[in-house]
Amino acid sequence: MAEKRPDRWLGPGHHREFWDWCDKGELRLQRCGGCGGISWPVVNACEFCGSEELSWEPMSGRGTIVSWSTFERDYYRGLLPIPWDTILVELEEGPLFLSNPKGFTWQDITIGMPVKLAFIPCEDSAGEYSLPVFEKA
Amino acid sequence: MSYGSIMNMPPPSREMSRKAAIVGLGETDYHLDYLAERAKAPGYESPTVEGLCTKAFERALADSGLKREDIDGLALSFTFGGPPPEEMAGLLGLNPRYCIANGNIMAGPLPVVCADIAAGKADTVAMVFCVASRTIGRDFGGSDEFSGEGVPTSYYYYHPWGWSSQAAHWAMIFSHYQATYGATEEDLGSVAMQLRKNTETNPNAVMQKPMSLEDYMGSRYIVRPLHLFDICLVNDGAVCLIVSRADKAKDMPHKPVEVAGWGESKIKHSKLHTMVRERLRPQFQDAGRQALEMAGVSLSDVQHFEGYDASTMHLINHIEGHGFVEPGAGLEFCKAGEMAVGGKLPTNTWGGNVSGSYMQGWAHIAEVVRQLRHEADGRQIKDVEVSMSSLAQTDQVHPLVFVRGD
Ligand SMILES: [Zn+2]
Repeated sequence: MAEKRPDRWLGPGHHREFWDWCDKGELRLQRCGGCGGISWPVVNACEFCGSEELSWEPMSGRGTIVSWSTFERDYYRGLLPIPWDTILVELEEGPLFLSNPKGFTWQDITIGMPVKLAFIPCEDSAGEYSLPVFEKA
Repeated sequence: MSYGSIMNMPPPSREMSRKAAIVGLGETDYHLDYLAERAKAPGYESPTVEGLCTKAFERALADSGLKREDIDGLALSFTFGGPPPEEMAGLLGLNPRYCIANGNIMAGPLPVVCADIAAGKADTVAMVFCVASRTIGRDFGGSDEFSGEGVPTSYYYYHPWGWSSQAAHWAMIFSHYQATYGATEEDLGSVAMQLRKNTETNPNAVMQKPMSLEDYMGSRYIVRPLHLFDICLVNDGAVCLIVSRADKAKDMPHKPVEVAGWGESKIKHSKLHTMVRERLRPQFQDAGRQALEMAGVSLSDVQHFEGYDASTMHLINHIEGHGFVEPGAGLEFCKAGEMAVGGKLPTNTWGGNVSGSYMQGWAHIAEVVRQLRHEADGRQIKDVEVSMSSLAQTDQVHPLVFVRGD
């Protein structure tokens, strides 16, 4: 059963290709052919050096928790259950990735704890898709 | 330039320092307006942008001792829109040769006007700011959130994961801070309590009820680990600053408050890392150095600080980021009373965004004016000559340095 989520395209910057890879069960981010840096969120040019030579590189899915925050206020007006947990994960490859915990809550979190990638079925007004989240490693 | 755009400041330079000064100050009745809005008595009408601006302008004009015809410039800053500049000039009874829409959040608008005064575009400019967020019922998160051109990606990118709102930024920062420095929610509560205590001497502050640690800990969570009392207010109001050429300012009734320095630094990459782990320290350091160098003063000369307290946590980011204390030492600094009048760095002495009024940085400048004039009744910092204000959004820092004129 797909979870209802706020629209991915509420803001101006989302990118079809990122979500297509997610639907194939892969977390891929843009690696720069110039400096090697990985940009996230999606960019048109490398956030470190400005090069447009970018390729979609698979991430290992391993990471550690850098921080967390839990919504007690219902900003999305009933769309998401409250409290709503969010985590900030440092991917093994370097970028920080904002996501949700799967199978644990903020009470279980210690900063630095290892996590691994999982995908869950979600749905927004554009249809069903796979959302990258993280479970305890 | 428009009302909504993110401001780019004119580059800081020594030549621009102390070329203009604030000579008039007017604010609306934040406390009374907030109470009236909450009570919604029969016949209550929400204040309009025009009405709020007029009130602030009339008060600033009276405060400055100037006449309408002395005002040859008008610069308007509206957070949620307002009439075009020429129309507003007509409403205020002005016929200025310089008339601009000038962004919204302070600090950018002030350097723009100072540079234009230095360039001879006007001698005396009324700068008017208005925010009527409560009136239009805007929420600061969820699907309503800002998502236009030039808005930082963190404001809209993480909707699919249910992460949005300003408060969530500061919550993410505080969780990490807690783990890094062993800080507790009670420690952070000291900042909320200090800001509330500061309103004891400010009858125009929105929140004036004394706050105990129990009150703080008992206030509901908005985004854990942050409580309601960690987050800035939302209230309506307007601020008017009348800014004049520094040489003309010397002949006016109040001590001029000279705009001595400004700076600007933005995150270029790795936003979440810089925000959560470094808490914008590289940007605070860079922009702060620019502003202090331009003003020709050092950090240790700063006797009064006004930091943009979008949250209690964010005020600590300012104090630590500029280097007033070492990273991790900010909450102990506050608990020791060093941010109170009489402490080492009196900070947001009128209550700030968290307890005073949410004027997007403009009311912070109003307090700078009162302090440097030595007219801050009941909370005057003794012999203060140099004040620093600091705006920091989630991805950029804009400090200003002010000195008491002759
Ligand atoms: Zn690159």
